[in-house]
Amino acid sequence: MRFLRHLAAACLVVAVVVVLGLAWNHFAASTLVGTVPGRPQTAIMRPESGPGGPHGPKVIDRGTFDLGLNSMLEPVNWPYLRHTVVIEAAVIAAVVIIDVGRRRSRRAARAAQLAEPPSGDGDGPDRYRQEP
Amino acid sequence: MGHAATRARAGTVPRRRPAMSGAPVTSPADATSGARRRRRIAARTRLDFWFDAVLLLGYTVAYSYGFTGIAIHEWLGIGLGLALLIHLTLHWDWVLRETRRLFSPRGHDKGIWLVNLALLLAMTLCVVSGILISRVALPQVGFSLLGGPFWSRLHVLTAEVTLGLVPVHVAVRWRWIVSVGRRLLTRRGGGRPR
Repeated sequence: MRFLRHLAAACLVVAVVVVLGLAWNHFAASTLVGTVPGRPQTAIMRPESGPGGPHGPKVIDRGTFDLGLNSMLEPVNWPYLRHTVVIEAAVIAAVVIIDVGRRRSRRAARAAQLAEPPSGDGDGPDRYRQEP
Repeated sequence: MGHAATRARAGTVPRRRPAMSGAPVTSPADATSGARRRRRIAARTRLDFWFDAVLLLGYTVAYSYGFTGIAIHEWLGIGLGLALLIHLTLHWDWVLRETRRLFSPRGHDKGIWLVNLALLLAMTLCVVSGILISRVALPQVGFSLLGGPFWSRLHVLTAEVTLGLVPVHVAVRWRWIVSVGRRLLTRRGGGRPR
């Protein structure tokens, strides 16, 4: 029951976002300008053996995107996946490094704060010494 | 991967009170059993971990359009849309809690909340625009929706935004991931606890 309640709430939020998208399209579609980037329209070629190959390059894909179900088995398409993985890994590494650095500096600042002598007008026990 | 702090706490099944048998939990066997119980991973944490891992994997593959081809890309995208709805449902408590805390000065997850909001917007628009410009999946089941250049551009734009935000969404909870992942893996190696 609780799950269904949460699911309904999540569906409502998603519906609001969809309506916002439809409204964007209806009222201000021209704000989203530019061409649709995609894979190059030129053919992607794989040399049979070495550059040029004995029989010339083999055309794998003409950029129509209709690669078929076995496209994942073609090694020539693997760089697309590698590209995505590299970007994700780079962003994750950057966030982790920033987080670790921030925590470390915060910890160092806290340690320095604890290590420094208590602030006051005097310097150590002498501040309690009475003037002659 | 919304509420790591809660899940990190919830991830470990809390130690139960000793049974009222009069025997204190002091013997080595009982101590080991208690430690095992502490290390036991709650079913919900396991579900979160593996479900989110599959989501990340699915997203990575679906984003690699040139790798999957259009049919798998579209079906995977539709599946991801449904999975993301379940993901949001599972973490609805976190959404409510952090939204309430948003305006309190002690709220510490504001940045994460903003990232998650942006990701929700981008991912939803990406899936919806993808459905609207579908060329294989929906025609296969007899639907032909109105697409258009706006939806194509929106799909590309939101996909690029999600590629930046998904890793951030994952990485802000890296401590939870490492902690639960390590426990899940060591649990397998060290035998199944009770």
